[in-house]
Amino acid sequence: MMIEINKLTKSYAGRTVTDIGHLTINTGETVGVVGNNGAGKTTLFRMLLDLIRPDSGEILSKGHNVADTAQWKAYTASYLDEGFLVDYLTPEEYFVFIGSLHQMGLREVMDYLHTHEEFFNGEILERGKYIRDFSKGNQNKIGITAALMQRPELLVLDEPFANLDPTTQIRLKAHIKTLKSGQLTTLISSHDLNHVTDVCDRIILFEKGKVIKDIYTNEHTLQELEAYFSQ
Amino acid sequence: MGFLALYLIGVCFLVGFVMEDLIEKFLPGRDVSEVFNGMILYYFAIDFITRLQIQELPTLAITPYLHLNIPKRKLVNFLQLRSLFSVLNIFPLIIFFPYCFRNIGPEYGNAACIMYLTSIFSLVIFNNYGALYFKRISAENIKIVIPAIIVLTVLGGLEYLKIFSIAAFSDTLFSFIAIHPASGLIFPLFAAVIFLVNDKYLKNNLYIENLTAGEEKKSGTDYPFLDRFGAAGTLAALEIKLILRNRRPKATVTKGLILLIYGFVFYKRDLIDTNQFGKMLFPAVFMTGNTILIYGQFMFGWQGAEFDGMLANKVSARDFFRAKFILLTISSSLLTVLTTFYVYLSWKILMIHLAAWLYNIGISTIIVLYFATRNYKYIDISKGARFNWEGISATTILLSLPVLLSPYLIYIPLSLINPYFGLAGISILGIAGLLSRSFWTGFLVREFNRRKHKIAAGFREKS
Repeated sequence: MMIEINKLTKSYAGRTVTDIGHLTINTGETVGVVGNNGAGKTTLFRMLLDLIRPDSGEILSKGHNVADTAQWKAYTASYLDEGFLVDYLTPEEYFVFIGSLHQMGLREVMDYLHTHEEFFNGEILERGKYIRDFSKGNQNKIGITAALMQRPELLVLDEPFANLDPTTQIRLKAHIKTLKSGQLTTLISSHDLNHVTDVCDRIILFEKGKVIKDIYTNEHTLQELEAYFSQ
Repeated sequence: MGFLALYLIGVCFLVGFVMEDLIEKFLPGRDVSEVFNGMILYYFAIDFITRLQIQELPTLAITPYLHLNIPKRKLVNFLQLRSLFSVLNIFPLIIFFPYCFRNIGPEYGNAACIMYLTSIFSLVIFNNYGALYFKRISAENIKIVIPAIIVLTVLGGLEYLKIFSIAAFSDTLFSFIAIHPASGLIFPLFAAVIFLVNDKYLKNNLYIENLTAGEEKKSGTDYPFLDRFGAAGTLAALEIKLILRNRRPKATVTKGLILLIYGFVFYKRDLIDTNQFGKMLFPAVFMTGNTILIYGQFMFGWQGAEFDGMLANKVSARDFFRAKFILLTISSSLLTVLTTFYVYLSWKILMIHLAAWLYNIGISTIIVLYFATRNYKYIDISKGARFNWEGISATTILLSLPVLLSPYLIYIPLSLINPYFGLAGISILGIAGLLSRSFWTGFLVREFNRRKHKIAAGFREKS
């Protein structure tokens, strides 16, 4: 078991954004987190990454509370928003920096990046720009690639398909599917129901911080979700 | 910022009204009107360079309107008019006008007085649009600022060697205007020309990509000397890039260099001769540690934009703090090396600086980093630093007090025996801080972990 959440609550100014009794995520699962704005998806991810302190309850990663230890950082890679990028670096410098945190040398990083040239579509490397000067879609690509580069056991992506061009969306989906090897646990939030049902084995639907549905994907899942969101 | 501007305007008023007395007091025996006339062009030369640095291009203000049904002519007029609303345009008027009314009018007649006012006003307009035009046509204004400073230094040198004097030229010019008022019309002419040049340029280049300063190709940089510090060295290198590639931290650190002339105010011959080190300790601590104080006060705020990433990534808090120590130590050491030129006053100054340096890298760093864990304000590092009070609160200002005052706790009692003992005491304290750095790092990491969620939440609320 990768993640175990117990009695987790969080509220802002009296408004509950997270209220999860018990939830487990098994090793190797690819989980899609869906829900309208305010459902608490990003808050959950932030608590999982120990960026926000829960009001009560705990999140265990491989059995250890994420708020008490830092072991999880060694096997967890994440990209939630531009706040995860160092925007005054060139993409190359950023990749080398992230690589160095995981004991990857310059050569290793560059080799990895070259395997991703198709994903970058010639728009990221050797452009002579700082990250802050890239478009939002390209910043997303940089952040997602840097997260994948860390060869994590747990991957957390918040809205990875947002701002990406159609070609890159399709490539990213294909890439996430190839990563399903039984070792990698992935958490993806998205507003695009087609994409998440296509990629994920399991969908968790949130509403105002509560788990409303928790389903293993089958051919009816998309209809089921569409029915919920159109009511 | 508003408060500061008001204060400066007040000071200008005061200077304007007592100009005569000031000149008589500081330059006794010189002819007042000669000094005043000489000052005018000097002021505007310095004003021009200041504008190149400070004055903002008011272009982003119109981007939301470019696609709307508003004629280009109107947008250009708006930009031109908008640029006049700058305190820099008010200062010279209140500094120079009172003297003109009180002295030029009665002495040379109303025509001369009006011409003086017109000339000065035209120079303001000329500088305003001239500086903006300069900034617009140059991709990187630093390339213009440096030659401009060189030109000014050369002029200053020529003035000093009595070969060519701006002051004398200015005096001749304005004395001439005083006698032949009509000749002053040359200034409005200059102002009109630069205004039209600017106007034409704006009309032809009213596109977002033309209005913002051009970009040159960016490439990666490495600082191999930091590699030996491992992960902490990598983080320190990252922060050096942060400083060099963002406007506000860059300006903050450059300010530190300007503050190095502080010593000239404090280091007096009699203080040195009578070994009154106490009175020189304050400037010494300030000069050798000003980056620690000024940059260090928002230690984490500089990284506010990527703070979430720093926390979620595999960055250990210990390395994070070690990187800060490395950075502050390097900066303080560099400043100390730069201040060695004061040795020409006395070798005693060198000793004070050495003690201050040890104290700064040993003790000030710890104090500043401790208070940094209590500052939750996000700051936008892409904005200029001057007149920028974002992220500054009462605590950040109060924080400089313990740093500047605590050396006296050691110095004063020991100096009663011997001033040299006082310096030795401060040095020993600094060395003790250095030797126990790993203990203090542990302490800071605990403080940081206790408050990191609050800091991160504060940075997420980008004002």
